[in-house]
Amino acid sequence: MIEFQHVFKSYGQGRPILADLTFKVSAGEFVYVAGPSGAGKSTLLKLIGGLEPPSRGSIQVHGHRLDQLSARARPYLRRAVGVILQDTHLLFDRSAIDNVLLPLAVTGLAPSLARARARAALEKVGLSSKENTRPIELSGGEQQRLAIARAIVNRPAILIADEPTASLDIDTARRIMSVFKDFNRVGVTTVIASHDDALMAEYATRAFKIEPGKFADSTGQRAHTFAIDSTKLKDQQSRVGSGRSETLR
Amino acid sequence: MKSLLRQHRYALAVTLRRLAAAPISSLTNLMVIALALSLPLLGASLLVSMQPVARQVSVTPELTVFLKTEAPSTAAEQLATRIRKEYAEQVAGVRIVTKDRAIKELRNNPAWEQALKVLPGNPLPDAVVVSLTPSDQLAERADKLAQVWRKWPGVDLVQLDTAWVQRLEALLRFGRIGLLLLALSVALVVLATVFNTVRMQALSQREEIGVARLVGATESFVRRPFLYLGSITCSLAALIGIGIARLALIPLNDALASLARSYDAEFALSLPAPWMLAIAVTSVAVLGALSARWSVQRNTKF
Repeated sequence: MIEFQHVFKSYGQGRPILADLTFKVSAGEFVYVAGPSGAGKSTLLKLIGGLEPPSRGSIQVHGHRLDQLSARARPYLRRAVGVILQDTHLLFDRSAIDNVLLPLAVTGLAPSLARARARAALEKVGLSSKENTRPIELSGGEQQRLAIARAIVNRPAILIADEPTASLDIDTARRIMSVFKDFNRVGVTTVIASHDDALMAEYATRAFKIEPGKFADSTGQRAHTFAIDSTKLKDQQSRVGSGRSETLR
Repeated sequence: MKSLLRQHRYALAVTLRRLAAAPISSLTNLMVIALALSLPLLGASLLVSMQPVARQVSVTPELTVFLKTEAPSTAAEQLATRIRKEYAEQVAGVRIVTKDRAIKELRNNPAWEQALKVLPGNPLPDAVVVSLTPSDQLAERADKLAQVWRKWPGVDLVQLDTAWVQRLEALLRFGRIGLLLLALSVALVVLATVFNTVRMQALSQREEIGVARLVGATESFVRRPFLYLGSITCSLAALIGIGIARLALIPLNDALASLARSYDAEFALSLPAPWMLAIAVTSVAVLGALSARWSVQRNTKF
C-alpha cells in the first residue's frame, strides 16, 4: 500500500531531514508516527500524500510510483489518499457541508448523491447537526472532525493525519481517534503523526519512531541513524515552541 | 461525460458566486470593458453605414458626355453608337439621357420645380452616360477616355464621376485602418483588465485553490472558474457595450438627420448586422477566456 525505498528528503542544500528511509505499510494497517517536533513527522506524511517530492529514493503509494507519476495523474492519486494536515485548511466562507462537498465536486459526482455522501460523512464524525454551520463557529475538536469528514468523504484507501489531536482535551481526542479507528476497521490504511504516545498506543497497531537523525520501526524490521542539520532542527523546534518530545516506548 | 458537465456546472456556479460576492468590483470591471468596447462599435457603425454609399457609386463607374445644346437630336444616338463600336471592351453600358427626359426628372424634384418654371425653354443638353467595365486603373482609364471624347465634334463637356468616389474610398480605407488600430488598443485594454481581475481573484482564492488541490482537483478544475469569469465578464461587457453604442447613435443620428435634410438626402448610422455583433461578442468572450487562462496559469503557481 505504502512503500519507501531509500528515501531522502532535504530542503535546499542542507543535510537531510529524513535519510535512507525504507519501510512498507500494508493495506489495512494503523501506523502511528512518533517523534519530537522538527524530527520530520510532517515531512514523512507529506511525502506519503505526494504533497512534496523526495530528494532521493522511491515512494510507492496505492500501487503508483510517485516519481513516475505524471502531473496529470497526480490529482487522481490524491483522491485515494485522504489528508488531514496540522492546520485543518477549512474554507471559512462556506458551511460545513459545503466544505465536505468540495472533494466530491472535484470528482464530478451527481449533486444529490454528493449531498447524501457528505451528510453520511458528517454523521460519521458526529457533526450532522452542524451541516449548515460555518467552520468559524465550530470548536477546535469539531473543526478537526470536519477536516476528517472532508478527508474521508471520497472513501480513500489511505488516510493520513498530522497531529489530529493536538491542543484538544482528552475526551475530544479519544472521540477523534475512535473515528480513525472506525475507518481503519473497514480497511482504510491509516497513518497518523502525533506527540501523544499514550493515546496512540491504544489505537495503533504499529509505530515508526523518528528522532533527529534516527528512524526506527516498532516491529524491529528496520532501525538506523543518519546525520542531520542540527541548526535547522533547533530553528524548527523554536518555531514549534513548547512541543512535547516524548517517544514511543 | 456527465461528470465533466457537472464539473462545468460547478465551475459556472463558483464563478457566479464569486462575481456576486464583489458586486461593485464586478460592475466596475464590466463598465470599463463595456465603455472601451463601445468605441470600436461606434466606429464600425460609421464604416458599415458609409460602405453601401461608396460601394453603390464605385461599382458603377460612369462618364457623362454632355453634347452642345445646339447639337441635333440625332447626335446623341450617333455618339452612343460610336462609343459602343470603338470602345466595346472598355464599356459596360451606354445609355442616352435626352434633354426632355432630363428636364422631366428635374421637374419631379420639388427643390428644382419652382426654379425651372421661370425658364423660357429647356437649357439642358442631351447626354450620353457611359458605364465603364471595372478594373484596377479605373480612374486613369476614365481620364484618358475623357480627354479623347472631349475632342469629338458636338461634345461640350465630359464629366468624370470617379474623383469624389476615390476620395470617399480613401477616407473609408483610412477609417478601416483607424478602426483596426482602435480595436487592437481595446483588445489590449480587455486583456489587461481581465488579466488583473483574474490575478486578484486567484490571490483571494488562494486557500480554496490549495484545498481543492489537496483533495485531488486537477489543474483544469482549478482553472475552469477563472476561464468562465473571463469569458462571462467579457460577454456581458460586450452586450453592455452594444447597448451603449446603440444609445449613443440616437443623438448622433438626430444631428445627422438635420445635416442630411439640408442636402435633401437621408442618411443614418446603424449598428453592424446582428451576425457581425454576434461574432464580436464571441470574439471578446474568447479573448477574455484566453487572458484569464494566461493570468491563472501565472498566478496559481503556489
